[in-house]
Amino acid sequence: MRHQAVFFAGVLWLAVLLAVAVLSIGRARSTAERLVALDVAVIVLMGLLGLSAGGARRSYPLDAALALALLSFVSTLAAARYVGDRRPFEQPEGPGKGEAG
Amino acid sequence: MTAWIADVLIVLGLVVMTLGVYGIVRFPDVYTRLHASSKAAFLGVSILLVATALGGGPSVLARVVLIVGLLAITTPVAAHAIAQAAYHQREPMRAPGAVDERPTKS
Repeated sequence: MRHQAVFFAGVLWLAVLLAVAVLSIGRARSTAERLVALDVAVIVLMGLLGLSAGGARRSYPLDAALALALLSFVSTLAAARYVGDRRPFEQPEGPGKGEAG
Repeated sequence: MTAWIADVLIVLGLVVMTLGVYGIVRFPDVYTRLHASSKAAFLGVSILLVATALGGGPSVLARVVLIVGLLAITTPVAAHAIAQAAYHQREPMRAPGAVDERPTKS
């Protein structure tokens, strides 16, 4: 039982960290900073789901964490490509047009 | 015995995770914040998930391996995409000693 208390204390601390991450989404000065803060908030939420799965000795919160990882990757990629060159779903046309720099 | 190891891993993961979130709050610009988000936060959540897998059965272990492997593949790609977008948007580099290698005449 004492070990489960460690898990739930970790869940509480991660909830505090999640609140800080969400607040820093609001504090961000640009879209890229907002994306970074959103990424961190999602990762903290995945850690929270993992710890709650360990504390309750169930595996279904980990399914939610897995879906969250997939969705977070796709959304971050699409949003970053949209912020970068306004074309999230296409390859840049023309030879060398999409090269960085 | 494994329960004690799981406790130590949880404390370690929480410390690393706290450092990552503190980096997001404290670092001056996008490029330095990406260090905190892509390295510290990923490492912290991996340690926490390993601690979860130590106390669970094979179904928990399979999911943890899947999540950690997926994050190890996707986190660098997402961080690179964000950094490239920020650089195209000409985000300012506020970190002291930052060097922008863009040619001045674009």
